[in-house]
Amino acid sequence: MPTIIVLALLFLLPVVVLILQAGAPGWRFPELMPELSFDGLRFLAARPGPFLTALASSLGYSLATVALTLAMTILPAQVLAFRSFPGKNLLEGLLLLPALVPAMTFSMGLHFIFIKIGLADTTPGVILVLAMIAYPYMLRALTTGYMLMGREYAVCARNLGAPAWRVFLDVELPQLLPAMAAGASVVFLVAFSEYFLVFLIGGGSVASFTGYLFPLITSSNRGLGALVTLVFLTVPILLFIALELGLYRYHRKRWMG
Amino acid sequence: MKRGIVHGLLPLLLPYCALFCAGLALTLAQSLGLFLPLGPGEITAGYYQNLIQDQGVKLSLGLSLSVAFLSAAGSVLGGTILALALWRMPPGLRRIGVVSKVGLILPHVAAAFLVLLMFSQTGLVSSLLFQTGIIASPEEFPNILHTGNGLGMILAFLLKGVPFSLLLIGAVLFGFDIRLIQTARMLGAGPWRVFWSVILPRLLPAMHSAFIILFLYAFGSFDIPFVLGESHPGMLSIRVFDIFFQRDLVQRPQAMAILTLMFVFAAVFAMLYNRFAAYLDGWRRKL
Repeated sequence: MPTIIVLALLFLLPVVVLILQAGAPGWRFPELMPELSFDGLRFLAARPGPFLTALASSLGYSLATVALTLAMTILPAQVLAFRSFPGKNLLEGLLLLPALVPAMTFSMGLHFIFIKIGLADTTPGVILVLAMIAYPYMLRALTTGYMLMGREYAVCARNLGAPAWRVFLDVELPQLLPAMAAGASVVFLVAFSEYFLVFLIGGGSVASFTGYLFPLITSSNRGLGALVTLVFLTVPILLFIALELGLYRYHRKRWMG
Repeated sequence: MKRGIVHGLLPLLLPYCALFCAGLALTLAQSLGLFLPLGPGEITAGYYQNLIQDQGVKLSLGLSLSVAFLSAAGSVLGGTILALALWRMPPGLRRIGVVSKVGLILPHVAAAFLVLLMFSQTGLVSSLLFQTGIIASPEEFPNILHTGNGLGMILAFLLKGVPFSLLLIGAVLFGFDIRLIQTARMLGAGPWRVFWSVILPRLLPAMHSAFIILFLYAFGSFDIPFVLGESHPGMLSIRVFDIFFQRDLVQRPQAMAILTLMFVFAAVFAMLYNRFAAYLDGWRRKL
């Protein structure tokens, strides 16, 4: 019972506070019960442009980051799971570094390079730098996925004469899907909620949801800030539900005909 | 055989070198006075010497370290306690742990926003205390967000860190082989003994991982200190940002020197901590 209360205080109360604040932009000290108003919603409905642009842009570069990290790690994960070679431990450690060391340390230098080669202030530049801080999560998930799967199925399919691409598509991919979904969820969250890197590399010309939220919470417009934060919570939740349902349907179709 | 390994790793090694290593190399070069926007300069260690003499940098380093340590340690402790509490519940009820996902999904900026809403002097907690008559004016509410020791930032990091630790530690705990505990109980171990000798050693690897990730993240993070940070002394990341964007280009190597030292610290810390944790685990196993 105390556990439930602690969980509710820690994680449900913030949502309730956000909903109340969103419904009552004029809520000020020392009132406890806010007066209901829909100013925040009305404001968004009147000027939906920047809000929708930021949302679409954030969704776009976050999904692109997921795709890029997947492309970057799918083969290396297989190598790291199945092969052994001298220096493997060191390499694995080095490959985890981008997620561990402060992102500022390499991104500030990278920003200078991006200016020189014209990638600064562009969406591809943002995607590249986000992929760099997020890929370790995908790599870990896929490596574990390959290890759990083992090599036997692939070897068996090869022995039965399947070409390499069919082994990958028909044998390995379906078994890797849960690991991919797990990695993709984390990578998406990392990319979607990042503020600083998008601001640095995107330089204001790449719209982002965090960039839209930021001035709202530091200014006095807290009602609107709360409303936007709520959308921020809903979008990933909806995506994760869709992902779960998609996987469930896929497996049912595949295994039950 | 060998070639297959290299080819298989290339899709990752190429971007790793082109983006991560190149970015770091440039940070290092600029900290030594080379490849600056104003043109190629001469190599110098002067910017590092400046840092050693700068008292402000030392204060910032102290704040960054203490905020990172307290928030990571608190998160791991809180996450472990919550995981244990959930674990003792019947499996059906255990699902309510899913609400902690809220903390995982919220961006850091939003976690900082929530701390502002709740704990500022005119915030929700203050209003509650005013309504119940415990305080008579907002000034009487302790100024949590501006104490100079980063308490507000720690609260925001905890909101993000507790569910993260819960996720990592819960993953181990919820798959725990119950027979180990039954055996220990049959051999006469009390509940505390079971916890110290059977459960905790198996949780430690996950707790170490959570700690190292959260500690290094908080140490170098920007988003939360940018919303909640006090200007003096200010976290290291904020100091770097100020030098980088708000002073003139001549100062930039100074920012890069701080970043280089932050990188070295993070990399060495991660390595030593892993060694230390592995050593401790080996030592425990021998006992």
